Amino acid sequence: MVTYIVRRLVTAVLILFGASFVVYQLTALSGDPLEDLRGSSAPNRDQLIQARIELLDLNTPAPLRYFGWLAGAAKCLVPFAATCDLGTSIQGEAVTTALARAMGNTITLVTTATILAIIIGVSLGIITALRQYSGLDYGVTFMSFLFFSLPIFWLAVLLKEFGAIGFNNFLRDPEIPPLTILVVAIASGLIWSLFASSSWKRKGIAFLLGAVVAAGLLIVLDLLDWFSNPGLGPIVIVITGIGIALGVVLLTAGLRNRKALYASFIIVALSLVAYYVVNPLFSSATIWMIIVFAAVMVLVGVLVGYLMGGYDRGQSMRAAALTGLLMAFVIIVDRFMVTWPAYVSNSRVGGRPIATVGAETPGLDESLWINGLDTFTHLLLPTLALLLASLASYSRYSRASMLEIMNQDYIRTARAKGLSERTVVMRHAFRNALIPLATLVAFDIGALIGGAIITEQVFAFAGMGQLFVQALRRVDPDPIMGFFLIAGILALVFNLVADIVYSFLDPRVRVKA
Amino acid sequence: MRFTRTSKAVGVAAAAALALSACAADTGTDSNDDGSDGEASGGAIRVVEVNAFSSFNSNTSEGNVDINGKIAYATHAGFVYVNNDLEVVQNEDFGTMEVLSEDPLSVRYTVNEDVTWSDGNAVDAGDLLLTWAIHSGYFDDAETDDEGETVSGTTYFDYAGDSSGLALTDLPEIGEDGRSITLNYSEPYADYMVAFGDMTGEAGIATPAHVIAEKAGLADEDALIELIQTAPAGDPENPEERPEIQAMADFWNTGFDTKSLPEDESLYLSNGPFIASSITPDQSMTLVRNEDYDWGPIPNVDEITVRYIGEAPAQVQALQNGEVDIIAPQASADTVEQLEALSDSGVTIEQGNQLSYDHIDLNFDGVFEDENVREAFMKTVPRQQLVDTIIKKINPDAEPLDSQLFLTDQEAYEEAASTNGSDAYDEVDIEGARELLDGATPEVRIMYNRDNPNRLNAYTLIAESAAEAGFNVVDGGLGASDWGAALGNGTYDATIFGWINSGVGVSGVPQIFKTGNGSNFNGFSSPEADELMDELIVTTDPAEQDALQVQIDQLIWDSKYGLPLFQVPGVDAYSDNVSGVEYMPNQMGIWWNFWDWSVAS
Repeated sequence: MVTYIVRRLVTAVLILFGASFVVYQLTALSGDPLEDLRGSSAPNRDQLIQARIELLDLNTPAPLRYFGWLAGAAKCLVPFAATCDLGTSIQGEAVTTALARAMGNTITLVTTATILAIIIGVSLGIITALRQYSGLDYGVTFMSFLFFSLPIFWLAVLLKEFGAIGFNNFLRDPEIPPLTILVVAIASGLIWSLFASSSWKRKGIAFLLGAVVAAGLLIVLDLLDWFSNPGLGPIVIVITGIGIALGVVLLTAGLRNRKALYASFIIVALSLVAYYVVNPLFSSATIWMIIVFAAVMVLVGVLVGYLMGGYDRGQSMRAAALTGLLMAFVIIVDRFMVTWPAYVSNSRVGGRPIATVGAETPGLDESLWINGLDTFTHLLLPTLALLLASLASYSRYSRASMLEIMNQDYIRTARAKGLSERTVVMRHAFRNALIPLATLVAFDIGALIGGAIITEQVFAFAGMGQLFVQALRRVDPDPIMGFFLIAGILALVFNLVADIVYSFLDPRVRVKA
Repeated sequence: MRFTRTSKAVGVAAAAALALSACAADTGTDSNDDGSDGEASGGAIRVVEVNAFSSFNSNTSEGNVDINGKIAYATHAGFVYVNNDLEVVQNEDFGTMEVLSEDPLSVRYTVNEDVTWSDGNAVDAGDLLLTWAIHSGYFDDAETDDEGETVSGTTYFDYAGDSSGLALTDLPEIGEDGRSITLNYSEPYADYMVAFGDMTGEAGIATPAHVIAEKAGLADEDALIELIQTAPAGDPENPEERPEIQAMADFWNTGFDTKSLPEDESLYLSNGPFIASSITPDQSMTLVRNEDYDWGPIPNVDEITVRYIGEAPAQVQALQNGEVDIIAPQASADTVEQLEALSDSGVTIEQGNQLSYDHIDLNFDGVFEDENVREAFMKTVPRQQLVDTIIKKINPDAEPLDSQLFLTDQEAYEEAASTNGSDAYDEVDIEGARELLDGATPEVRIMYNRDNPNRLNAYTLIAESAAEAGFNVVDGGLGASDWGAALGNGTYDATIFGWINSGVGVSGVPQIFKTGNGSNFNGFSSPEADELMDELIVTTDPAEQDALQVQIDQLIWDSKYGLPLFQVPGVDAYSDNVSGVEYMPNQMGIWWNFWDWSVAS
């Protein structure tokens, strides 16, 4: 195993050397760094050209210049010496500084989208696999491929037009026209009926139910002026909590496990208490306070599950802990919602909360809640765009893998010995279906830091993609090499990690040293 | 039994919830203590820029990016600025520029009393002297070989502007009041008005001498003055080491480069209307009013936020969404169309010309050596059609450019255009061209930047029209990375590309049109014009300058040099939140009168 890893690492270093040389040459050949000056009529044109030649060392041929860069970059290998020198951009900023900043921005942008894409994509894949060739399967397949094939810059423009400009216009006078209610009701009915099982009668009932629930919800929200003053309030929190408890127990322990169910309900009741206790404290919240709150909720869940005791108390503990975590999330979301009116009416936001560009409203420096909402309104659209575009791969992969697993002999055996369908799916099929996804997720995390060039460009987000594009436009090799180093190292490392993880997850695969 | 217990549990929980429903938790958000700008009077304006801020020194070759220049313009003051009629305006509230004598040219610059940097230090003769030392290249003693490699000596201050004017001046005298210096030119210099302390071109008096003195390890500003006054001028023949000047230059060259707001306030001192207050690197930057400032136009707004958005469609949608107030996107037909669609929702569009203009130049050798062939070719260039198809979509008022030296926005343009003989090329004259060619079918290779759609369109239309008259046009278009290097290398007969007219001043004229000069790519040579240009650059009277330029323009047209085609159009737009924005053709763009911007109530 160790020999294998070492061998892979050595190859990786060699690949990096080769690839960085090629990238450096390609960058140097990609354009004329003097283009703007050559056709200049400025009286000091020659002097400017000379200054640029000196700055970029253009009189040295690019293959030689590469080694100059390499000498600086090699210093980064000396640990703790802080001598890392990846060069500077044309504008005189150290590449290491620019990289650190761009990486931070990119991580904020891409993390949420990637996590959501994994969760939603995998769930959709599993569900569609369990209902193969149903209307739901076809519907999800169609939508995911539709979003997959849409060019993201166009998708982004549409999102901005309707999600930001349209929604902000709506917020000015939040009254939902009857036609919209009708359309939403029909759409919701259709979605519900897709989820219903095969018989037409049940589909019809689901459609009606879906339509009525959606229309009713919209009308109530409209009447309460909820869009201007959103919030959940204790009742909705408890109702949501009961739903969460039922869902969590259904998936983790099965509703027959009463101990787990009670444990979760107790957590819901406790979180109602927590709602009243923590909210006044939240007025001066810090990010740590929120993390501690969530951790406490989880711990209380574990404790309650433990105290419920009984046979397999682990199930109760898991169910209650998960419920606790989700309840903490609900309470925090409620708090954000309550802050919404203050955010929207802030003079810098000016009543138009959903943003189309950037990562923050400049100069907005208020509480954690307001700035949190600000980040949310700025990240919403780019996250949606990235999410929609990357749903397809996850849902298709997990569907295919789940289908394969469900047809395995051991699944039949599990059913034959009388296990409940929940146990078969969640315990025996689902876990194994995730194994092939490990590779995909590892790759995606590697690619994550590389940035989403087009998305960043369209949403004016200063991440890794922008760093790369702007440097390329100026034919400025150092930032590009910095970008390449990070992206390349991550790709190689996560490739390795994917292979190793795979061999741990799947005992059939063994790494041969 | 169990089931009932469950229902009880649920029931109790629900009852509890209902009982408590009347009172949501105390979140403390009702007492809304917002109003961050409640007391502010002028309000804030949000402007979009394409490039991100990177340096508080816009005069070095690294910091010389449009956005840095604009920020420097808003945070500094100087003796003159350029208005949007491309006239030089003096800012007498800051200081005075007196011409003591015309010949020999001698100009005295005096800063008014009570003009200070934002740290309280007075703007005085030390600052003027240092600015002069930097901008004149007084200490430089570098010698370069043919390849441009420095063989000996040093270029100290990496100044990106043109030093040729101040290079004519001796070491200035400092006035007794300590607030003035006198520049004595060795010969009259045409552009003396914008040679020193020009806000538009070089951000006025932008370098605080006391900060440079401190950072370079000098005792104080007086020591710096003493150093500049006593150190001998640079002499490439006898280069010498000057460690103290080097320390100053090293700091000036890179010390102000930063993408975030420095901890050290002395790195972003202001002596202008605004001062930087916060920066988010690559995202935005906020300028707030410099409370001390009263030496020049006083801005209406208290705060300007600059946001960087590269893509034009993203700029338009941000404007539409009310996230920004003023945008100046790269002009294209699509952008203008999108903006026009917004005019119902209170967006005002301003269209105009930029200072850059496209032109076709004919080489004075090869196939075009014969004047008749040049003239025949010029007759075939469909200038009106080019404007109609390329420019009109962006700037409906556009017309073909009729002068090689003046832009339509300049006062003397009309006079030059009406006398230089350009009207002969207003319309395509295929017949006339055929007659001049007299049956010949010369082969013409036209070089242009193939990756620039406007140039490609221009080439296509010109080639089509020229072919009708019998020219055998060969497409010599090169990619974006190659065309610049090919300029003047003799591999083509004609070339389509763009110049940028400075709009103010005349020192750019000889650079293009004088025999053998660096940017004279087509080999134009006219002894008469050379003489007039020699006279032009020592003429200080604007009216005489115009008269000379009209004559030179005429000579250029008479020689069948080639044709100016059109000025590149520009566009900016602003929402109904703001007023006072005015179009400006030069590199300062809408910023030129930022003090007039105000927030609509």
